[in-house]
Amino acid sequence: MQARPHHRVKALAALSLFSASALVLAGCSGESGPSAGSEPVTITFAASTFGDPGRGEGLEAMLADYNSSQDIVTVEPASVPFPTFAQTVLTQMGAGSGPDLIRFNMAEFESAAAAGLLEPLTDSIDADELGLIAGPDQYLIKDGERYGVVFENSNYGMFYNADLIPNPPETFEEFVQVAKDLTQGDTYGLAFRQTQAEEAGVWQDIQNFVLGFGGSWTDGDTLTIDSPEVIEGLEAFQMLYDLQVIPQGADAATFRQMFANGLVGMELNNGGYATATTANNPDLNFSVADIPFPVQSQGTLLTPMVMNVHSDHKEAVLDFMTWLLEPAQQSQLQEILGASSVATETERSEASLELYPFLPVLDEMTETGVPQLVLGYGPETPELRTIIVTQVLAALQGQTDMATAMETAQQQAEELVGQ
Amino acid sequence: MRLGVSARIVAVLIVLGLATFPIYWMFVTALTPDAQLYSSGVTLFPDLTRLSVFAEVLQNGELVRWLINSFIVAAGTTVLSIGLGIPLAYALSRYRFRGQLVLVLALLFTQMLPEALLVVPLFALFGQFDLLNTLQGLILANTAFALPVVALILKGAIDGVPRELDEAVRVDGGRPITVLGRIIIPLIAPAISAAAVIAFFSAWNEFVFAVTFVFDKTIQPATVGLAGFIGEQNVSTQSIMAASLLFTLPAIIFYMFVQRYVVSGMTSGAVKG
Amino acid sequence: MTRVHTGAAPGGAAPIPSPPRVTATAKRRRRAAGSRWTPYLFLAPAAIYILFFQMIPLVQEFRLSFTRTSLLNPTRNEWVGLDNYAAIFSDAEFQRTLLTTLVYVVISVIGAVGLGLLVALLLNGTFPGRTIARSLITIPWAAPGIAVAMIWIWMLNPQFGILTKLLKAVGIDPGRSGVLDNPDLALFAVLLTTVWQLVPFVSVVLLSALQSVPKELVEAAEVDGAGRWAVFRVVTWQVLRPTVGLVAVLMTIWALRRFEIIWVMTRGGPLGNTRTLVIDLYSQAFESQQLGSAAAIGMVGIAISLIIIIGSRFVARGAGKES
Repeated sequence: MQARPHHRVKALAALSLFSASALVLAGCSGESGPSAGSEPVTITFAASTFGDPGRGEGLEAMLADYNSSQDIVTVEPASVPFPTFAQTVLTQMGAGSGPDLIRFNMAEFESAAAAGLLEPLTDSIDADELGLIAGPDQYLIKDGERYGVVFENSNYGMFYNADLIPNPPETFEEFVQVAKDLTQGDTYGLAFRQTQAEEAGVWQDIQNFVLGFGGSWTDGDTLTIDSPEVIEGLEAFQMLYDLQVIPQGADAATFRQMFANGLVGMELNNGGYATATTANNPDLNFSVADIPFPVQSQGTLLTPMVMNVHSDHKEAVLDFMTWLLEPAQQSQLQEILGASSVATETERSEASLELYPFLPVLDEMTETGVPQLVLGYGPETPELRTIIVTQVLAALQGQTDMATAMETAQQQAEELVGQ
Repeated sequence: MRLGVSARIVAVLIVLGLATFPIYWMFVTALTPDAQLYSSGVTLFPDLTRLSVFAEVLQNGELVRWLINSFIVAAGTTVLSIGLGIPLAYALSRYRFRGQLVLVLALLFTQMLPEALLVVPLFALFGQFDLLNTLQGLILANTAFALPVVALILKGAIDGVPRELDEAVRVDGGRPITVLGRIIIPLIAPAISAAAVIAFFSAWNEFVFAVTFVFDKTIQPATVGLAGFIGEQNVSTQSIMAASLLFTLPAIIFYMFVQRYVVSGMTSGAVKG
Repeated sequence: MTRVHTGAAPGGAAPIPSPPRVTATAKRRRRAAGSRWTPYLFLAPAAIYILFFQMIPLVQEFRLSFTRTSLLNPTRNEWVGLDNYAAIFSDAEFQRTLLTTLVYVVISVIGAVGLGLLVALLLNGTFPGRTIARSLITIPWAAPGIAVAMIWIWMLNPQFGILTKLLKAVGIDPGRSGVLDNPDLALFAVLLTTVWQLVPFVSVVLLSALQSVPKELVEAAEVDGAGRWAVFRVVTWQVLRPTVGLVAVLMTIWALRRFEIIWVMTRGGPLGNTRTLVIDLYSQAFESQQLGSAAAIGMVGIAISLIIIIGSRFVARGAGKES
């Protein structure tokens, strides 16, 4: 990775910093890696993280570190805003273009992998050698081929305002009670997403309820959307909605600001949210505990980084990925991401443990977190998600009861996947 | 429409009030601290001590560059659409030729396809011609939408210019292009300025092509930059509102410029009836 | 396309002494003094441009609508004939989508054109501050769609939005989850936002058209003792009609493809009450990644546009015969 200093090349690299890779790379083949002394290369990295307060700057700083540590590869953040991330990147990739390195969520990962848009990394990444944590990593291997490496693995816990709630609830009944007790005037005990405008968010939020009551969308092969456990979990979700302990109709942007300002007592959210909360309000005294549902199982926001099969600079991308997977960088990345885990085991620094004493709570969930997919039907997840969330919302709006809603969803889902 | 001047002013104020209130509200919201924003009270007036929010958004450094990119795309689209649209409108208005109806229908057809459908074919097309990730590419894509609208509006305007005036120049031996330059254009100046504003605004606010065809942050127009304020983790309402206002301002300035200078410039050489 | 038979349409300068009605048939038969090719030369650049960037994709989309194609692999098309169309029309939800689309189009066009006309007439008079007023009216239109959607979402925020507080103050309770999550009110909110953003566009175009209303005629009619309404009907409206027609047609076509506001504000919810054709299309293309189905929906949208245009031509002809 340490290249021989090419002064002319350095100047060229500096100049080419802002141009698209294609322009610079006209004559450069992708075969020889950076360490072989090839011409300077610019690769693009698309990740919603760049837009996160606190985390975005940290990640950009890491890119700058990498760029200055050698003369050959320059990594630039790609310009893809979060609201249209999937559609933009998938359109570009489908057309044979797109960023070189991408951070996807699991649904997007599954679609892209199934469509052959991701470069297989089976031979390039050695899990044992790098010390990748097996639990989350398994989801990135499809049919024996590896298609990505964990970038961030963010487990779901119960965020709570420690000033309003000195003793966090430990059972579901206590959870409901605390929510009720706190709801008065402008303050609410809990918050979660429940509008069609935030369909993807609703999907994330209901996972914890479904898993927490022992349910699952499939048993691996068959869809079990109308199974009793799933219905029980969703009925719990609905109960909280009907109790009006949440700000109904509020979108996540609003209720997260409310949480940061002490107007919402609890929220089931993923670890990456800790940094954002602190950025919103550094004075907020909040903590994270295990989600107090009957079954200790929760979702995880697993986001792998993948290599675009159409990339012209695969060696460069691999070089950056391997650099990022080195212990020093993994620790640094974890610091930046906040309360999430990364691909390998790391040790938390004293400073971070002081800031966020609850870190071990989240870290311990890493091995058992369940990605928010319909397991076994990864590529169909977006459509299945629409079917399921539509029915859940219909039940919330009082048009039907949850059991019937899930039976309808099961029917429609079976039609969709041809079961 | 005879309306007493004071009655008219009152009506205008009401209309302007309704039109601008949400924008005013953007301003107030940008300046309201979280504690007051998320409360059941009402803050009707902006807190002018917090104007630093705008400075912060500007200091983001890239906002200015995005605005410049947006301006280049919008101005380019306007120039190209007007430049190609005037001759097209003139031909449609003044001549009878084969395929005329088909052409007019085609112009209307171009307005019927949603961008979502055009994105994929155009992406492939632009890829082949190395137009991806360029501002020129965006100009071309936006003109494809704006040009038909410009042409239709100008055709209607030219239809309203009596042919006697054309004849006057022709009889003197003038070519069609002279008719166009000396008679038509000055007379339809208000329509040209309206069409120019339409082309400008449509390109200024365009999002789908901008987000899909551009990969580099340095080239991205402000609509994409604005969307970037909406993060996965967090949305700073104040910043988005501030950025939105900064984004709206240049478009309005452009409109005022077109109204004041373009129209008077064009009509200064016009035939006075 | 409505043929312009009458009068000075948008933007002709006022002081032309000829009467508004110009029957052009006789004049049109005369050929240009130049070559036969002059018209083609004039329109060639634009026509080629449009052919390339719009017509070819249009044809491609038409072909796509008969295939099953994934966004992730758009060059691999599996021919399925009319399956996409069959699926669309046999879907009960689609009928509701069509109805919602119709309501959205009709109300937004009538609202925008009607209010736009009134505003244009209002701003056409003489009063102090006229120039500033004409600039300020463009503000809703100048703001980007995302920003417009976001400020309206904020104003309608169920807990803190100013409009929600206002509604409650006048006794209308939008429900605990607010206007945008209220199946009965959501479409109205989206329409309001749409019309708010469109009125400036209509008024700008109509204002420029009003410049070509011959002032002498207006004054002459008024001196004759004609009432305000008669003056408008006989003079002003004759001049404006073609432009209003054009604007209405354009607004209608655009309404069928207007997407950003609805998508950001409600995404077609709640319970699909604001789902229009284009929302469905977008969802098919980018969430289900089915370009074939999306193309089919797009074709249906185009068919509807055509029906409306042809229908409006008949209406215009009929109205033209009356006056």
